[in-house]
Amino acid sequence: MARVRGKFAKKETTAEVMDPTKVVGLSPFQLGIARLRRDRVAVIGFWVIVAFVFMAVFAPIIVKIFGLDPYKLDRSAINDYGLPKGPFGGISWDHPLGVEPGTGRDILGRLIYGARISLLVGTIGTILTTSVGLVLGMIAGLRRGIVDAIISRLGDVTLAFPSLLLLIALNQPFTQRLVDLGVPRGNTARLTYILLVLMIFGWVYVARLVRGQVLSLREREFIEAARSFGAPNRHIIFKELLPNLWPQIIVLVSLSLPGYVSIEATLSFLGLGLYAPTASWGLMLGDSVGYYRSDPTYLVIPGLTLMILVLAFNLFGDGLRDAFDPRSDRQQL
Amino acid sequence: MRKRRAFAALLVASGLAIAACGGGDGGGTTGEESGGKSASSDGIVDGGTLHILDVSEGATNLDPQRIYTGADLGFLGSTIQRTLTSYKYAAGVEGSELVADLATDTGTASNDAKTWEFTLRDGVTFEDGSPIECKDIRYGVSRTWASDVTGDEGPLFALSFIDAPEDYPGPFTATEEQQAGFNEAIECSEDGKTITFNLRESVGDFNFTVALLAFGPVPEDQDTGDQYTLKPVSSGPFKIESYEQGKELVMVRNENWNKDSDPIREPHLDKIVWHFGLDETVIDERMIADEGDDQAAIVYGGIQPQNLQTIFGDDKFKDRRTDGFDGFVSYTMVNMKTVNCAEIRRAIWLALDRDALRTAGGGPFTGEYAKGFINPRLGADYEEADLPEGLNEDGTPNVEAAQAEMDKAKANPDCADAYKRATETGLTRDHADSELWQKLIAIWIDSMDKIGIKIIDNPIEPSKYYATINETPGDLMSAGWAADWNNASTVIPPLFIKDGGFAYNYTWEDPEYDAFKALVDEAKVETDREKQGDMWKELNQWLVDRVWNIPGLYTKTQNIVGSRVRNAYQWYQFGWYNVGAIGLTE
Repeated sequence: MARVRGKFAKKETTAEVMDPTKVVGLSPFQLGIARLRRDRVAVIGFWVIVAFVFMAVFAPIIVKIFGLDPYKLDRSAINDYGLPKGPFGGISWDHPLGVEPGTGRDILGRLIYGARISLLVGTIGTILTTSVGLVLGMIAGLRRGIVDAIISRLGDVTLAFPSLLLLIALNQPFTQRLVDLGVPRGNTARLTYILLVLMIFGWVYVARLVRGQVLSLREREFIEAARSFGAPNRHIIFKELLPNLWPQIIVLVSLSLPGYVSIEATLSFLGLGLYAPTASWGLMLGDSVGYYRSDPTYLVIPGLTLMILVLAFNLFGDGLRDAFDPRSDRQQL
Repeated sequence: MRKRRAFAALLVASGLAIAACGGGDGGGTTGEESGGKSASSDGIVDGGTLHILDVSEGATNLDPQRIYTGADLGFLGSTIQRTLTSYKYAAGVEGSELVADLATDTGTASNDAKTWEFTLRDGVTFEDGSPIECKDIRYGVSRTWASDVTGDEGPLFALSFIDAPEDYPGPFTATEEQQAGFNEAIECSEDGKTITFNLRESVGDFNFTVALLAFGPVPEDQDTGDQYTLKPVSSGPFKIESYEQGKELVMVRNENWNKDSDPIREPHLDKIVWHFGLDETVIDERMIADEGDDQAAIVYGGIQPQNLQTIFGDDKFKDRRTDGFDGFVSYTMVNMKTVNCAEIRRAIWLALDRDALRTAGGGPFTGEYAKGFINPRLGADYEEADLPEGLNEDGTPNVEAAQAEMDKAKANPDCADAYKRATETGLTRDHADSELWQKLIAIWIDSMDKIGIKIIDNPIEPSKYYATINETPGDLMSAGWAADWNNASTVIPPLFIKDGGFAYNYTWEDPEYDAFKALVDEAKVETDREKQGDMWKELNQWLVDRVWNIPGLYTKTQNIVGSRVRNAYQWYQFGWYNVGAIGLTE
């Protein structure tokens, strides 16, 4: 049977792997996917993430269909004290997860919109750190010598900084600086600042991993072979090195993304992230703390949502690592 | 006087109108609660330590010439700083009655109320036992002029009453000539017992002015300049033993204070410990739990809106809680430089969802919609102003009426710049940053969006709020104000006149300013109190018509004390407890 290539081959190849009587040649990537699909916990994590991404992407439509406008005040859902009417934070058909005390805004709607911010920061943060880390790591690994030394020491120095502390301490002056440089005031400036700092401190982890891999890969036979054929650097980087780096990078990405989601929530919670009235999980958490006596549901729901998303990413990331990192103890195949 | 920091942020919900106030004309929506057993003197046993729980990192000010926040005036006046006159120790409206303190009576006016004379009591002393003389009071007052040393947060408007040299810079840098000129304005008798104030104009109630702590005595040889605010010299029944910012301030009894020389203060406590830097949520939690030392604790500030239902929905707190009007009016200043168009200002008022703002802050507990800038408590000066047509009494927005005003503004060439700023650039909304404001700003943005006005949120760190808006005012700014005494002369001039010190919104940019100021100057010197009251009422109406500021609420404050605390009544004059009168049960 001729092997089918491309994305439509996935099902078939998996079936072939499952069938012990057939011996089929598979790329490491296909092997990894196959292993991943057998890891039930990781699959659940994956679908939870998909659900969140779906919610975030289609937030305006979902909110419209179900009438969950996150910015609409609902005076009728709160009593004279400003607290939600009805038990469990005002959970009702109109407001499936209750309403925000004081304003009566819908919590589910705010969570859905908050997911956009969380995932946006997570995704952009990860893309930025990964690309910077990848480039610097590869340069360090390929060039070696003085360039490697400079990049590696720079990484060491960066790691020595207490990044979260710096992120908090430099918040006001640097955001102001960005505004002076022409970044729109408010959320745009704050987000730009957060992402920049995340990038400045996040690239080291990717760069170190990539550098180590490149150092070991460049001595391998297939690279030697390519070189002996006179393959240009471009070919070696894109055709020989990168395909062998992807699995590790994907694992790292899936594990660092929830970290960035948490950092956004932490900063907003501390009042250093997004500005109200933007719906953000961190802002909701910050606001809800004061209500832990009078409206505990309000405290539980955003916290639980954040936990579920981060947990899903971590479980999925663990599954990815098990599937793609052959040295892992927990591998199943 | 001004409300303090975070509480300004908390209570200054902003922009509101109607419904009646408990003080006057019926139709009030919430009852007031005076504190039950905790307000009575039942079972007080002398001695013990009172704890004050506070969110902020330290006292706003301890220097008498710098103190100008309501709660501090009452608190520090009743404990460490005596003045020539003071207010009666009593709950309710009786607490605004002027009584003699360092002076033997409440002063004698002559020369058409341009000269005021006070005679000091025998036996009044500072904490080191040295006698308080006329020169100490004169020196104390003079420090208020030295804004380079004592800041500009004091009651600067009161300075304009005194006939001191125009260029008097305060005692620290004054030339001999300037000081001599000042000493003529405030004269001391040979024996140091009589102090005479010579005023520029007639001030019929100057004896109320001298009840401000800024008119309190300071011993010149112990003045530490700008450090005096860390350890002032006491003249009251308590003195400061230690003060560490961010941690605590401890007051103990002043052995050199003697009851015979002080007819009003009746201290019961041995010690007062003021704890700083506590978390708001933790404070409420500790007060609700009422355990250990917290049974002898009071809170600087108020109950957070999220806990109002817990405390006011349960009768077990009946003897520990208070709920009442605090004499303040909250309002939103509109920058007259940038929004120099009455139609737009009126449109903002009409379109604002004042009901939502009030609900977010705790509903009727936040206060009643204000009808102008003069609190109903100022009986003689208060009259409901005619509000703009279309303003809903229940605080809900009237978008149609607001839009009509916006259309008028659009058609008016004088409003072109302001209209463009409001609808295109956006109006900067200054407020002290707080969790509550994250909701309030959403309501502002939502309300203004309906008439096409853009709002730019500008949260400011609470402790720097007033300093910031003083330096770089935004387009819309929150604030709150209460009269210093029972006369609107302590409301309208400070808030709207250039020299008043608190007109952060450039009122003088309005072409009508000169006409307004002339009326104010006339009202200030009117000695017929009834006539003067009518003039304030007219000016209040004028302000409502021109909408220099947007009236907010006659604010209310809710508070809770520990179960062993007694005599914790809201002191009418200051909107907080009379701390000096508090006692504890066994």
